Amino acid sequence: MDFRFSDDQLNLAEGVRDYLSGTHGPEVLRRLDEHGNRDPAIWQGLVQMGLTGLCVPEAQGGLGMGLPEAALIAAECGRACLAEPLVDTAFVGVPWLVAQGQLGGLEDVVAGSRRIAVAHAINPWEADGDGAALTSVDPLRNLSVRVERSRDTSAPGVSTTLDANGEGDDLLLNLGALMSAAQLVGLADAMLDQAVEYAKIRTQFGQPVGAFQALKHQLANCSVAIEFAKPVVWRAASALEHGLESAPVHVSHAKVAATDAAMLTAETAIQVHGAMGYTYEVDLHFWMKRSWALCGAWGDRAFHLKRVDDAVLGGALPIGPQHTFA
Amino acid sequence: MKLGFSPEEELFRAECADWLQGQMAGEFKDIKGITTLTAKAERRKEWEQQLAAHKWSCIGWPSQWGGRDATLAQQVIFAEEYARAGVPGRVNHIGIELAGPTILTFGTEQQKARFLPGIAAGQTIFCQGFSEPGAGSDLASVRTKGRLEDGEWVVNGQKIWTSLAHISDWIFVVTRTEEGSKGPKGLSFLMMDVKQPGIEIRGIKQINGDAEFNETFFTDARCPADSLIGAVGDGWKIAMGLLAFERGVSTLGQQMAFRNELDAIIAAAKANGQASNPLIRQRIAKAEIGLRLMRYGALRMLSNTDHSKIDGAALTYKIQWATWRRSLGELAMDVLGQAGEVAEGSEYEWGMLPNLFLFSRSDTIYGGTNQIQRNLIAERGLGMPREPRGDL
Repeated sequence: MDFRFSDDQLNLAEGVRDYLSGTHGPEVLRRLDEHGNRDPAIWQGLVQMGLTGLCVPEAQGGLGMGLPEAALIAAECGRACLAEPLVDTAFVGVPWLVAQGQLGGLEDVVAGSRRIAVAHAINPWEADGDGAALTSVDPLRNLSVRVERSRDTSAPGVSTTLDANGEGDDLLLNLGALMSAAQLVGLADAMLDQAVEYAKIRTQFGQPVGAFQALKHQLANCSVAIEFAKPVVWRAASALEHGLESAPVHVSHAKVAATDAAMLTAETAIQVHGAMGYTYEVDLHFWMKRSWALCGAWGDRAFHLKRVDDAVLGGALPIGPQHTFA
Repeated sequence: MKLGFSPEEELFRAECADWLQGQMAGEFKDIKGITTLTAKAERRKEWEQQLAAHKWSCIGWPSQWGGRDATLAQQVIFAEEYARAGVPGRVNHIGIELAGPTILTFGTEQQKARFLPGIAAGQTIFCQGFSEPGAGSDLASVRTKGRLEDGEWVVNGQKIWTSLAHISDWIFVVTRTEEGSKGPKGLSFLMMDVKQPGIEIRGIKQINGDAEFNETFFTDARCPADSLIGAVGDGWKIAMGLLAFERGVSTLGQQMAFRNELDAIIAAAKANGQASNPLIRQRIAKAEIGLRLMRYGALRMLSNTDHSKIDGAALTYKIQWATWRRSLGELAMDVLGQAGEVAEGSEYEWGMLPNLFLFSRSDTIYGGTNQIQRNLIAERGLGMPREPRGDL
């Protein structure tokens, strides 16, 4: 067993991180918050990096990569608090279509002319869909009422909604939950970085507040929660990629761990920022609100705990002597 | 041991409840149930005056100054019924609960006559000038300077987190009046008219979209020499006395407001089915237990014969309620699920529970962060050595 990512995978993620940190800083989030929430230029940049085609098979002009790579990039999207619907389109919608053998129109996804909004029974509404708009706690999230529609996934267009059309397609649910978990660990990393930086520069009682154990212990707790959540997310990506029977439980485990890490970090980061953390002026709240929104999306903590619970107590998971728990 | 309230106290409760519920069903129906501190500020100033007209504005004060000489138990009862009736928070709570008691305790007779009637009548709204950009948890490091010049105090500097400064008439300000002094020494406590050219107010938008507090800039702001409460250099002593009021009676009646919030969560859980989720049930049970801990803790504090000071148990109260309520906000969101993400109306028109979640993030910060509370508990309560101060 080898839990490491390859150098190629890590280089890809690092490239995306560098690109987003250079082009998608907090000032961009504030600009989008004031004007329109979305920017075609940002989308075009993602297209040019090949990210919309990351999971599209090479025969359709994509990069043909799998869910572990997609999860790594989704984490980078979380770190940057990216608002464009890249994750839903390219890492949830595309893998689902490919698994169904519906390859028509994927060239348009690669080219960026087609986006996919994903509707599922577990989410009362959809992100970047075309139903009546709702106001989300996340100022950059374009939420709308879920619209029941026929499954038209072949026609190219600016935005196509993918509807599993049934109540509860499991693969779609697992993809959505997995990619939410991946974004959450990236969001948590970014919030921890912001809190650590602030604790270094804010002085009280004649020294940086980060010197106080009362603060540094809390940040240490966040770091532990995040670093323990990450491998669980990557494990879930791998299990889903290989179609393991236990994949849904891995996904649920990942969603719970990532939710706990992100919420702990969001809450701690506000506390570490003191009253500044409670203001709109400090960037932190963008990440916190995205975290909050994603924690509830694709099955909340209780839903996924119950899936784990059922699997453990209902005998679906082979556990006990003679079984590993990989 | 005496559990519960006396028959006389229950009668008083009925009187409070009747009047408050009558007001919220009648003339002031339009402000019932408001949960932010800034909405409908003008109407709420009228509400302050209505309270005063019926002698309900400051019942704990001496009757000489517009109060009722109410006992601590009566004050708690009034606060509980106030919350139960769905009356919004007091826009003059700083005047009634902080400035007034401070003047009563430390002010001269002239100062009492000058300020107390206006506060009691709901005509003079006060705000608090303590925190500064460089003096938050380390409150004693304030840098705003005051100097005496031709019989007037002249103040320069900046305060921050000044709640409701934009609708206030007066501000009390902790200033450094001794040149070159450090820490708690050399500070003085001044009362200043907010509406003067030397004071500029800028709002600060909060994460829940409300803008309750402000930055307050002082540029040669002035007040007469007799605006000083206590003596020159007494500022720290008076500020600490005032913070003891903040930790005192004013927080003891909160539990009814908390009860309302927990009840709303339970109602939401029953409505959306989460009430049958064992994980949620457990947390609701824990929240209920936490609320009862606070309730009985408050009753124990009330039972102390010496009501003039709050004892060591009060040291732990702030962290207890703040942490409990912050968890309550988290529970609210977990009960609502994704429905909690969506605002009822336009942007930032949150329902009670999402607003609770966002607002309660500040509970463990304002009035002394949880970390400072733990220091106070450890250093003052347990007598542990102080964390070393640096000299940056």
